[in-house]
Amino acid sequence: MRGVSKHFGEIPAVDHLDLTVGNGEFVVLLGPTGAGKTTTLRLVAGLEKLDAGTISIGGHDMTTADPAVRDVSFVFQQYSLYPHLSVYENLAFPLRSPAHPHSKSEIRRRVTAIAEMLRITHKLDNRATQLSGGEMQRVAIGRAMVREPQIYLMDEPLSSLDAKLRADLRLELKRIQQDLGATLLYVTHDQIEAMTMANRIGVIDQGRLIQVGTPREIYQDPCNLYVASRLGQPAINVIPPGLIPRFAVPPGTASIGARTEHMHISRSVNGSGQGKVEWIEHLGDQNHLHVRIGDHQIITLVDPETPMSRGDDVDIALTGPLFFDAAGNRLRGTGDG
Amino acid sequence: MSEPQDSAADKLAARVASATPEPLARRVRGLSDRAIAWLFISPTIVLLLAINIFPLIWTIYLSFTNYKANRINRPIEFIGLRNYERVLTDTDIWHTLQVTAHFLCWTMTLQVVLGFGLAWLINKQFKGHGLWTTVILLPMMLSPAVVGNFWTFLYQPQIGLFNYAVSFVTGIPPSSFQMIGDVNLAPWAIVIVDTWMWTPYIMLICLAGLRSIPDYIYEAAEVDRASKWRQFWSITLPMVLPFLMLAVLFRSIENFKMFDLVVELTSGGPGSVTELASINLKREAFEKWRTGYSSAFAIILFVTVFGAASIYVKALNKVKQR
Ligand SMILES: Nc1ncnc2c1ncn2[C@@H]1O[C@H](COP(=O)(O)OP(=O)(O)O)[C@@H](O)[C@H]1O
Ligand SMILES: [Mg+2]
Repeated sequence: MRGVSKHFGEIPAVDHLDLTVGNGEFVVLLGPTGAGKTTTLRLVAGLEKLDAGTISIGGHDMTTADPAVRDVSFVFQQYSLYPHLSVYENLAFPLRSPAHPHSKSEIRRRVTAIAEMLRITHKLDNRATQLSGGEMQRVAIGRAMVREPQIYLMDEPLSSLDAKLRADLRLELKRIQQDLGATLLYVTHDQIEAMTMANRIGVIDQGRLIQVGTPREIYQDPCNLYVASRLGQPAINVIPPGLIPRFAVPPGTASIGARTEHMHISRSVNGSGQGKVEWIEHLGDQNHLHVRIGDHQIITLVDPETPMSRGDDVDIALTGPLFFDAAGNRLRGTGDG
Repeated sequence: MSEPQDSAADKLAARVASATPEPLARRVRGLSDRAIAWLFISPTIVLLLAINIFPLIWTIYLSFTNYKANRINRPIEFIGLRNYERVLTDTDIWHTLQVTAHFLCWTMTLQVVLGFGLAWLINKQFKGHGLWTTVILLPMMLSPAVVGNFWTFLYQPQIGLFNYAVSFVTGIPPSSFQMIGDVNLAPWAIVIVDTWMWTPYIMLICLAGLRSIPDYIYEAAEVDRASKWRQFWSITLPMVLPFLMLAVLFRSIENFKMFDLVVELTSGGPGSVTELASINLKREAFEKWRTGYSSAFAIILFVTVFGAASIYVKALNKVKQR
């Protein structure tokens, strides 16, 4: 994809997007609702005409090609199953193309294999409309996976599943992708999906690709405040430079981004701490610690066995946090604490 | 604004309440909900019984007798199944049924093909499709008597537009053939008029079916490398089929009973080549006054339509459940 743009009226849905998905690579586009993720996939699939730029797939220029010749498969956000067909027929539909024939037994073999993998074998004879949302979504994924196209395009395929199934399918999807060596462009607003599955993540906002890199790069080395705030649980704490005394910052710093691993919080010994523990949120395996400093609140992860409790005075020390200028861009200098 | 209205309604209710004689009011107050429900629907039920159910039962009764409605003084004699026997062995009856079948098959075939085709074109949303939809729907809104009259003019060999149009396309002189007067052409004349009048109906229902197919289904098919041809056969047609079948059901029942339009056009002639079952029935009942005999025929027609429609509805449900 080179310089791809698409406008709906005045709104730029996708704005000069450059992205290359390597062979066998799993690329995740991460962005909030309305960021232009769906539009990007539709442009790649050829369901939407682009205003500018070029798209090539498998080395061939496909900018104006029909969806059928692009050899892609698509998992739609709204499932898009064929409502009048059974689950079996839905899964077999892409294989029944007269131009690319498959034998009956071959179709049966592939469909049953996919159904087993997605655990919908017992629903094969159901009509597509007689399924729950999660089952429909799995059928939609299955329909994309029965073929071996140049690239799989997936639009938030796990968003309507319950947490357990989502975690299972996340692993399953990643495993299949590695086994097949498949190329995937995957779209989501869920940072965990992006972090766990991607070879590379592209962070997208308002139609612009902000940063592309491995999950590690994106997390540890975000290029601006927006990317930093998209990743991490709990979200990164943004504090003004003067808040923590005796902490030198590079010139031009407008805000400091501090994640759990950048902070050391300890009970102050002499009762003169900078912050006060306001609240401890119990999440089972870990706790969220809410600390108030002046009129700022900081949330970090702590051990469930933390000795701190509500109302305690605490000291905060920073080690290697991220610095951002007034425009939100990253400053590469180092501070010392 | 609403307050005075409310109080006006209240006042009215109070007036009605005070005007109701105390014994009646007491009785109404004592009624259960169920009883009040019956009270409200009973007029409808009485009317339905009087003008639908009673005549049906009376017709069944008459079909077993030799009653003639023009001789009311003759004693009614019960003759068992003799009328039915006569109807079923009458060659005239079989002829009219044949004419009806011909009419039914051809009108349905033509209307389905044309109606679906038109709906498909209009669904393409070309420029001005709204206007075209209205224009196409016009014939359906006319009265059959008007349409019949109107087409007798169009079919005129000397001045008829239809004959001129045919002559323009094929080159045969316009006055060399008579759509209504010719034994071979008359059955087609009524098929053409009925098709002209009722294709819009099938089109309308097909259009509803086509509009019910969401765009994203076609997008999915597009990505799944289905050609336009395959999309039509494996998506469009199966999804419109239940709508189409329903339209055909309604039209078939109507056309099986077809009377007014054909009477206006040909009155069953020339000879009896366009004498549909219902036209024959009317002749037997109100020209020859064979009331018992025609009652038997009517019952046979009713049972035929009812049976065929039930089988058809079963098939329709199967299609819908696939
Ligand atoms: N068919 C369309 N017509 C007009 N605007 C659209 C259309 N599709 C998407 N948009 C707009 O483009 C922007 C990006 O949409 P989309 O790609 O669906 O976002 P996402 O999938 O990331 O939630 C949104 O502002 C949306 O309103
Ligand atoms: Mg979307």
